[in-house]
Amino acid sequence: MSTMTDIAAAARVVDAVKVYGAGDTEVRALDGVSVDFTAGRFTAIMGPSGSGKSTLMHCAAGLDTLSSGSAFIGDTELGALDDKRLTLLRRDRVGFVFQAYNLLPTLTVAENITLPIDLAGGRPDREWIDALVDVVGLGDRLHHRPAELSGGQQQRVAVARAFAGRPDVVFADEPTGNLDSRAGEEVLGLLGRTVRQMARTVVMVTHDPVAAAHADEVVFLADGRLVDRMAAPTADKVLDRMKAFDGRTGTPSAAARAQGGPS
Amino acid sequence: MNTATARLSLSSLRAHKRRFTGTFTAVFLGVAFLAGTLLLGDTLKASFSSMFGNAAAGTDAVVRSADTITTPGESQGVRSPVDTELVRRIEELPQVAAAAPGIQGAGQLIGKNGDPVGGAGPPTLAGNWIADPQLNPYQLAEGRAPAKSGEVVVNRGAAKSGGLKVGDTTTLRTPDPVEVTVVGLATIGGADGMGQVTFTGMTQADAEKYLTPNPGEASSISVRAGPGVEQQELVRALAPVLPAGVEAITGQESAEENTDYISAQFLDLFTVFLLVFSGIALLVATFSIHNTFTIVVAQRTRENALLRALGASRQQVVGATLIEAAAVAVLASAAGLLGGIGIALGLQALFPAIGFPFPEGDLVITAMAMVLPLLVGIVVCLGSALLPAVRAGRTAPLAALRESQVDDSGASRRRAVLGGALGVLAVGITLTGVLVTPSLWLAGTGAVLALVAFVVLGPVASSRAVRILGGPLDRLRGVTGGLARRNALRSPKRTAATASALMIGVAVVGLFTVFAASLKATMDQTVSRSFAGDVAVSAPAFGAGGSGLSPRLAPALADLPEVETSVGLGRGVAEVDGAGRQLTVTDPQDLARGFDLGTVDGSLGTLGRDGIAIARDEAGDRGLAVGDTTELAFTDGNKEPFTVRAVFDRSELAGDYVITREAWAPHRAQDSDTLIAVTFKDGVTAADGRAAVEQTAAAYGDPEVQTRDEYAESSAGGIDMMLTLVYALLALAVLIALLGIANTLTLSVHERTRELGLLRSVGQTRAQLRAMVRWESVLVAAFGTAGGLALGGFLGWILVKASDGASDSAFAFALPPLQLSVVALVGLAAGALAGLRPARRAARLNVLRAIATE
Repeated sequence: MSTMTDIAAAARVVDAVKVYGAGDTEVRALDGVSVDFTAGRFTAIMGPSGSGKSTLMHCAAGLDTLSSGSAFIGDTELGALDDKRLTLLRRDRVGFVFQAYNLLPTLTVAENITLPIDLAGGRPDREWIDALVDVVGLGDRLHHRPAELSGGQQQRVAVARAFAGRPDVVFADEPTGNLDSRAGEEVLGLLGRTVRQMARTVVMVTHDPVAAAHADEVVFLADGRLVDRMAAPTADKVLDRMKAFDGRTGTPSAAARAQGGPS
Repeated sequence: MNTATARLSLSSLRAHKRRFTGTFTAVFLGVAFLAGTLLLGDTLKASFSSMFGNAAAGTDAVVRSADTITTPGESQGVRSPVDTELVRRIEELPQVAAAAPGIQGAGQLIGKNGDPVGGAGPPTLAGNWIADPQLNPYQLAEGRAPAKSGEVVVNRGAAKSGGLKVGDTTTLRTPDPVEVTVVGLATIGGADGMGQVTFTGMTQADAEKYLTPNPGEASSISVRAGPGVEQQELVRALAPVLPAGVEAITGQESAEENTDYISAQFLDLFTVFLLVFSGIALLVATFSIHNTFTIVVAQRTRENALLRALGASRQQVVGATLIEAAAVAVLASAAGLLGGIGIALGLQALFPAIGFPFPEGDLVITAMAMVLPLLVGIVVCLGSALLPAVRAGRTAPLAALRESQVDDSGASRRRAVLGGALGVLAVGITLTGVLVTPSLWLAGTGAVLALVAFVVLGPVASSRAVRILGGPLDRLRGVTGGLARRNALRSPKRTAATASALMIGVAVVGLFTVFAASLKATMDQTVSRSFAGDVAVSAPAFGAGGSGLSPRLAPALADLPEVETSVGLGRGVAEVDGAGRQLTVTDPQDLARGFDLGTVDGSLGTLGRDGIAIARDEAGDRGLAVGDTTELAFTDGNKEPFTVRAVFDRSELAGDYVITREAWAPHRAQDSDTLIAVTFKDGVTAADGRAAVEQTAAAYGDPEVQTRDEYAESSAGGIDMMLTLVYALLALAVLIALLGIANTLTLSVHERTRELGLLRSVGQTRAQLRAMVRWESVLVAAFGTAGGLALGGFLGWILVKASDGASDSAFAFALPPLQLSVVALVGLAAGALAGLRPARRAARLNVLRAIATE
C-alpha cells in the first residue's frame, strides 16, 4: 500500500465547485479548484477568511459534498458513495484533528485513541499504537479522562487518534487555533514528525503562517480558487506571500462572501 | 418581575417549543384523565338519578318492611317481605289511585348460546311484571306483558347480551331451572337496563311460586296517588293502615335511595378507582416535568448568567423560568380539560358498545370537574418547576464566561445518608406495622417512606446500578454499548430523575401484580386447606350477581350411587347480638366431610332446630363457648335463642355461623346454595364420579362441576379481570414515564451535538449512533424497572401482610416470577421504544454543523 501511495496522491480534488445558496444569495465557496495532496507529505492550506480553505478540506475529506467536480481519497471517488460508505471510508481511510472538542469526555485517553478502530469492530495494532503513544508522549496518561488533560495534551491525543487506524490521509482543521503558542508548537511538531518518521500524509487548514511553516508545502486559496503553491515554506515567506495577496484580493467584498463557508 | 422578563421567557418558550412537548404532553395526559374521570362520574350519577326518577315517576309511595339487616360489606341490606293482603286495604283508601305488590328475587337467564346472562357483579333480578304501567318501573318496548305461567318480559339489555328475542324459549335459574318464553322486551327510564342489572318479569303467580318461600308475600308495594294528592300526603294517609314493622316512603325518596345505592355500590368505587390512577399518572408526570426543567435550566446556564451579569436580579431569573412553566401549565391544562371532555364522551360511547349499558344522558359539566383538574395541572407543573427555577436564580454571573457545564456531579454524601436513614426508617416502621403491632396506618406510612427513600436514593444507586446493568453491553455491543453505558453514567442525578418516573409506574404495576398473585395463592390455599370434597358444584358469580344453586341439588346428588356425601352451603342473614351477620345454612352433620373445619369442639351432628356452630375466632370475640346461648334476630322480626353446640377452626369456606336448614326454614327468603361439596365413594374414579354429578346437575340449571383445582382457579377468576383493568389504566402512567425518558434523551442529544458530530466524523455509522442512543434509553429504563420491581415487591409485601393483619383469614404472599419477568421485559421494551425518536433525531444530525466551532 505504501509503495502505491508514495507515487500517487493520497487525496485530490478535480474542478471542485461548491455553491451555497441560490440566486442573489449564491456564494461560490469553491470555484473550480484542482489540487493533489501528495502521499507522505505534510500540506498546509492557507488563505484569508472566506477563501474556501475549510470548505476545500471538508469536501476533500468527505464531510461535505461538492456541487460539481470530484474528490478522491486514493482512487475512490467520494461523490459516488452514499452516506454509509462515506462514513466507513472516513472511519477506515481518513483521520481528523479539529480545532476544539476533539475527544469524547466519557472515554479515557487510550479509548479515545482507538475509537475509530473500536467503531469498526477491529483489533488495534498494538505495536503501532504503542509507537504512536511514544511519539505523542502520553504514555503515562493513557487511563486519564480528557478533562484531566491540558488543551495541548488533549490535542496530542487527538493527533494520535487520527493516526491510529493508519489512514491514507489525516485532515487537520486549525489544530492549533485554541492553543497557546508553545502547546501549538508541540502539536505541529508532532504532526510533522509523524509524517516524516512514520510516512503518513497530513493536510492542514490554517491561517497562521507559523503553523504553515511546519508543512512540506503550502497551497494558497483566495476567493475559492487555488492561487499559488509554495514548497519548503518558512514563516516569513508565507507571511510575505499572504501580505502580497492580501493587497491584491483583500477587499471587503471577499470577506463578505465568507458567510457560506465556515472558517 | 417586569414585562421584560415575561417577554424574555415567552420568546424563549417559542424558540424552544420542542423542549416542552414532553412536559406539555405529561400535564395534558394527567389533566385529561383526571377531568375525564370527574366528568364521567358526574355524568353517570346524573344519568342514573334521572333514570330512577323516570322509572319511579308513576310511583308516589313505596310500602315495605321497616327493618333491614345489613351485614358487613353489603350496603342495601335485607328486608323481610310484606303481606300482599295489604294491597287490598291500601287500594280502599280514597287518596290511592292504584297499588301493586312487587315481588323481587334473583333469577339468572340462560342465553341463546347456553351461557348465563350477566352475573359478573351487578344483580340478576327476577320479579312480577306489574300490570299498571305507571307503577311498573319498566316499560314495555316490544311484545306484550306475560299473561300465563312461563311467559316473561326481559329487559332489553339482558336480551341483547343473551341473544334473546321475543318468542324465544330459554331457562331461568331461580335457582331451580324454570322453562320460560320471552313474550316482551322492556326498558327502564328510557335505558335498556339499570346498568348491567338484568331483570326478568313474570306473572305474579309465577313470581310467588319461584321467588318467595310463601305465597302471599311481596318485597314491597308500589302505590300511586289519586289526582291532586301530594306524595307526602299519601304517605301520611297510608300510615294508619300499615301494620307494625311496615313503613311507607315517598316515590321520590325511593328513587333517591336507589341512586345512592348504586352510587355507593358501584359509581363511587368506579370514580375513586379512576382517580387513584390519575393521581399515579400525575405523580409520574411530576418527575418528568421536574427533570425537563432541570435540564433546560442547566442548558441555559450561560444565558441566565449573562442576564445576571447584565443586571437581572435573582428574582427576575427565577420569575422568567416560572413564567415559562406557567405558560406551559396553563396551555397544557386547558388542553387537558378539552381532552378530558373527549375522554368522558368517548367512554360514554364506548361502554354501551362493549355491553355496559349505562343510561343515556348528556355530558354533565360541573364547575368542580373543570376547576379541580385545571388547578391540579397548574400546581403540579409549577411545583415541579419551582426547584429548577430557584437553581436558575442562583446562577453566578461569572458562569457566562465559562463553557456551559452539565451537572455531572455524583450523589452527595448527605443524600446517601438521608436516603439510607429514610430507608431504614421505612423498613422499621413497616415491620413494626406489619409484624409487631399490626396497624394499617404504620404500614401505609412505611410504604410512603419507602417510596420517598427510593426516590432520594436514586442518584446514589444509579451509577452502580447502570454499571452493573450495562455490564453485558460492553461485551455484547462493543464500543457502541460501552459509549451508551458511559453516557447513562454521565449525570447520575439526571439518570435517576428520568428513571424515577418509570420506577413509580413499574412499582405500582409490580405492587398490583404481586398483590393479585398473593390473592390467588390465598384462594388456592383456602380451597386446598378447607375444601375436602372431590368435586365442587358452584354457580360462578361475582358480587351480587347470579342466582346460586338449587337447594334440591345437594340432596339429589347425595342419592347418586357414586356419591358418598354431598353438602350444600346456603346463605342467610340474621342479627347476632344486634350486629348483622351472614349465616351458613347447611346440613351440619355432613359438613365436616365436604369441608375441612379443623378441630371441632362439641358436635356438628346435634345442632337441630335451635343449635348453632360458630367459628373459633368469632366465638372468642363474643366470649361464647360450647353450651352458651346467643340470640338471633331474623328479617321477619322473630328473635330466637340458639345454643352453641359446636366451635370449629376454619371458617374460610364454611363461614362464621352455621345453622341447620330446619332452623332457617321459617325465616327463609328465596332459597339457594352457593357451593356444594361432593365426595365420592371408595372405588369410584374421578371421571366416573364427575360424569354422574354433571348428569344430575344438568337438570338443575346446569351449574359448573369442578375439581378442587378448577374450583380454586375459578374463584380467583375475578382477580385476573381486575388486574387487566388495572394494567390498562397504568399504561397511562408508563406512557408518561416513557415520554419523560424520550424528552430527557432528546435534550441530552442536543447537549452533545458536537460530541456526536465528532463520533460521526471519525467513522461512527448512523446505525451505530442510533444504537448508542437506544441502548442508553434501555439502560435508563432498566434502572427504573429494576428499582420499580424492588419497590413494587416490597409494597406488595406490605399490602399482603397488612391485609393479613386486618382480616381473619390468612393471606399468602406470592411473587409470580413469570408475570414479574413480563413486567421487566415490558419496561425494557418501553425503554427501547422511548429511545427511538431521540435516536432518529441524533442520527439525522449534520456532521459539519455539529463539529463547527462556535
